Amino acid sequence: MHKTLEQLYADHIAANPYNSNDDAYWDWYSKPAHELVDATILRGVYSRKQLTELLADFWHNHFNVYFWQDDGVPLLVSYNRDVLRKHMLGNFRQMLEAVASHPSMLYYLNQNNSSDAGPNENFARELFELHTLGAENYLGVQNPNTVEKDANGIAIGYVDNDVYEAARCLTGWRVDDNLGGWEEGIGISGNFIYYKPWHDRFNKIVLGKYIEADQPDLKDGRDVLDLLANHPGTARHIARKLCSRFIADLPPESVIQAAANTFTEFRDAPDQLKRVMETILLSDEFKQSWGNKIKRPMEAAFSVMRALNSDFTRVPSGISWMIGLMGQPIFERRSPDGYADTKEAWANSMSILYRWNISVGIAENWLSNDDQGHTIQTDVLNQTPADVRTATALADFWIQRLLGRNMADADRAAVIGVMAQQYTAEEQLPEDHVRYVLPAMIEVILMSPDFQWK
Amino acid sequence: MQKTIIPRRQFLQGCSAAIASMAGAKLTNLAFAQEDNPSDTLVVVFLRGGWDALNVVPPRDGDDRGFYEKARPNIKISNLLPLNDQFGLHPAMSPLLDLYQAGKAGIVHAVGLDYNTRSHFDAQEFIELGTPGSKSTTSGWITRHLQSNGITSILPVISTTSQPTSLLNFTPTVSLSTPEDFSQWGNDLLASQQTALRQLYTGDTLLHRAGARTLDALNIVSPLVNKEYQPSNGAFYNDDDFGRQLKTVAQMIKLDAGLRVAAVDFGGWDTHEYETDGDRGYIADLLNSLASGLANFYLDLDSGYTQRLSVVVISEFGRRLVQNESYGTDHGHGSVMFTLGGSVNGGQVFGNWPGLNNDQLYDHADLAVTTDYRQVMSELLSKRLGNSDIESVFPGFSGSYNPLGIFR
Repeated sequence: MHKTLEQLYADHIAANPYNSNDDAYWDWYSKPAHELVDATILRGVYSRKQLTELLADFWHNHFNVYFWQDDGVPLLVSYNRDVLRKHMLGNFRQMLEAVASHPSMLYYLNQNNSSDAGPNENFARELFELHTLGAENYLGVQNPNTVEKDANGIAIGYVDNDVYEAARCLTGWRVDDNLGGWEEGIGISGNFIYYKPWHDRFNKIVLGKYIEADQPDLKDGRDVLDLLANHPGTARHIARKLCSRFIADLPPESVIQAAANTFTEFRDAPDQLKRVMETILLSDEFKQSWGNKIKRPMEAAFSVMRALNSDFTRVPSGISWMIGLMGQPIFERRSPDGYADTKEAWANSMSILYRWNISVGIAENWLSNDDQGHTIQTDVLNQTPADVRTATALADFWIQRLLGRNMADADRAAVIGVMAQQYTAEEQLPEDHVRYVLPAMIEVILMSPDFQWK
Repeated sequence: MQKTIIPRRQFLQGCSAAIASMAGAKLTNLAFAQEDNPSDTLVVVFLRGGWDALNVVPPRDGDDRGFYEKARPNIKISNLLPLNDQFGLHPAMSPLLDLYQAGKAGIVHAVGLDYNTRSHFDAQEFIELGTPGSKSTTSGWITRHLQSNGITSILPVISTTSQPTSLLNFTPTVSLSTPEDFSQWGNDLLASQQTALRQLYTGDTLLHRAGARTLDALNIVSPLVNKEYQPSNGAFYNDDDFGRQLKTVAQMIKLDAGLRVAAVDFGGWDTHEYETDGDRGYIADLLNSLASGLANFYLDLDSGYTQRLSVVVISEFGRRLVQNESYGTDHGHGSVMFTLGGSVNGGQVFGNWPGLNNDQLYDHADLAVTTDYRQVMSELLSKRLGNSDIESVFPGFSGSYNPLGIFR
């Protein structure tokens, strides 16, 4: 996954050395993207820059690309690194163009097949609906001339006609991927190119703005991105989504507006998105946000391993398998909207059951693939002071250690009960009892609702 | 869509020792009231990727056979199983032929999503939301059916993969691929942990209620874990994803725990290249897996359950009439649906056949849609699922409802 976009394309797509009827072909084809999944787990557990990881997850979901989208699976590595991570604390307009011109997105939303002969509106529609203005600014199927305009003559929301016109503006944005060898003027570098023969050269109107015929290369598409990135609807849409992720499913209007104001005020700044994050994370609303949300499955799994100081060097496949069973197979959201960001999406039986099971799998050291050298080790006894040996003391020690706060009395009593078993809560427990039962008590704390909130 | 490599088996092999060492805790089986079951159990089989309806139920005679053969010189299906004078069934679907002839399986042709899209996820999403053209709908069509119908049982809905959009925002859904997957890990302290979990998940938040529901569902399912399941009537499930899913659904139905809906996904139908090899090949294997799975599922449940069973098989669209240059077919429009159950008016091909002449095709390219898929689902709702409130389930559609007569 250290390879450049061109190297990924050349090594894993254009010149895959295996026969496409063999599993080895698909293993080699998907290897870089699988490495990205492992890297995501490693960083989620070990990285000291956890905000970076949360933002990388946020932006991958915002500009979602499905792992198994046709044609460009190995390129996901480049998309994650060269587009999302590169720009996520930078400038939104620059990020938007990086997204719109990356082969991963071009393939995923069929922009790669969009020509003047029959523009494919797939990407253009999601560009409006998901990436910028949001469905809340969609005014449906209506005559664009009837849409209210702002002081600069820009429409306050978008209609279907704007999607069609934007799709025309973007025709010719494609990948240099002439694998068949029959397309004139196209190579096989795997890079983004502007293919003029496919571009619709005639004039267009997007969001009320007239776009002249025969503009210079790429200018039509860039005009669309400018219009969208600078639109107040986009500022609010991005601000609301970030606040939903970091504060509450339904965040207070005050912090949405503050973040949107920062987004607009610094729209030309190279650190626009960093400033937006500062507005959100330094807000009073953020300080009062604990308990508003349920951890996403990836966060839940990583937080168990971090809380128990689990140690691994190569990622056991069981980790991503269990995150998948929790409902968030990593980078495998098929539709372009990204994984949901509400409690309702994660409070289902399977998701909860595998939060419980991964606590057991980690604490009991059941997740290693020993035959492949993928070990993961957790030693909870060694992390417990030797003089803490009553059920009550052990429970209190680990409740504070894992939750950083008290449990309700009845819940604490239940945890103590698991630790004590046939003994009383206050007597000194035999060492072999502690060794055997301690992981089970710790698992119960990790399985509790208290550990799922964030 | 590419094939998805899930390291599940590899993982299970790696962990099998650990899992085998888990001593299953003794759980008292939760008593649940035997419900007076007023409606069928609905099983929705969604074939992801857009199946090639014209190679599943091809025309066998007349002008349309000519158009079909001309458009598909390398991928046409020849040795059809006759369904009627007009249509035949792909020979790999032979396990379903007996059920069709016995009137237990019905077919609707030229059916689908009446909306202009050839996008997989648009089409799947519109079908599953039940609101063609609108993605802002916050619940799936099955969710709205269940909500307008009221749910009282403990295990009302299972989905054998991840929760599909048709069940969007229906939180009581239990997703379980197999009883083995839906089992709680633990050693012989598990019972003690579960006692603690009951306390920890006593509360009123969404999370608390979901946790309590999970414990309930575990109680129901746990007796099935690692028990050899014996299908009735000599039925045999293939050891493939689809067979395992149907086996799980059959087990859940036979629990008599009030299962209302099971959602089953079957992927791999996006046949852009090398679709057939004569009457064999890639799609034949898929169709055989499908037909064999369904036939054995029916046989298994023909032990007192089929009169309360309705199975619907649907895909997001059919495929282009003309084959492409790589002996496959591209995304198309009109499709074919199958229904299966004790109360199906089977043995017939329903729907208005639009024809395959160029000017009869959708966009001069694909089989047209002459029956909205919601007609089939609405008939199912009103005749078999005890729900006459079609307007709540499919907003704006009830005025167009005109039953085909495919259900009794």
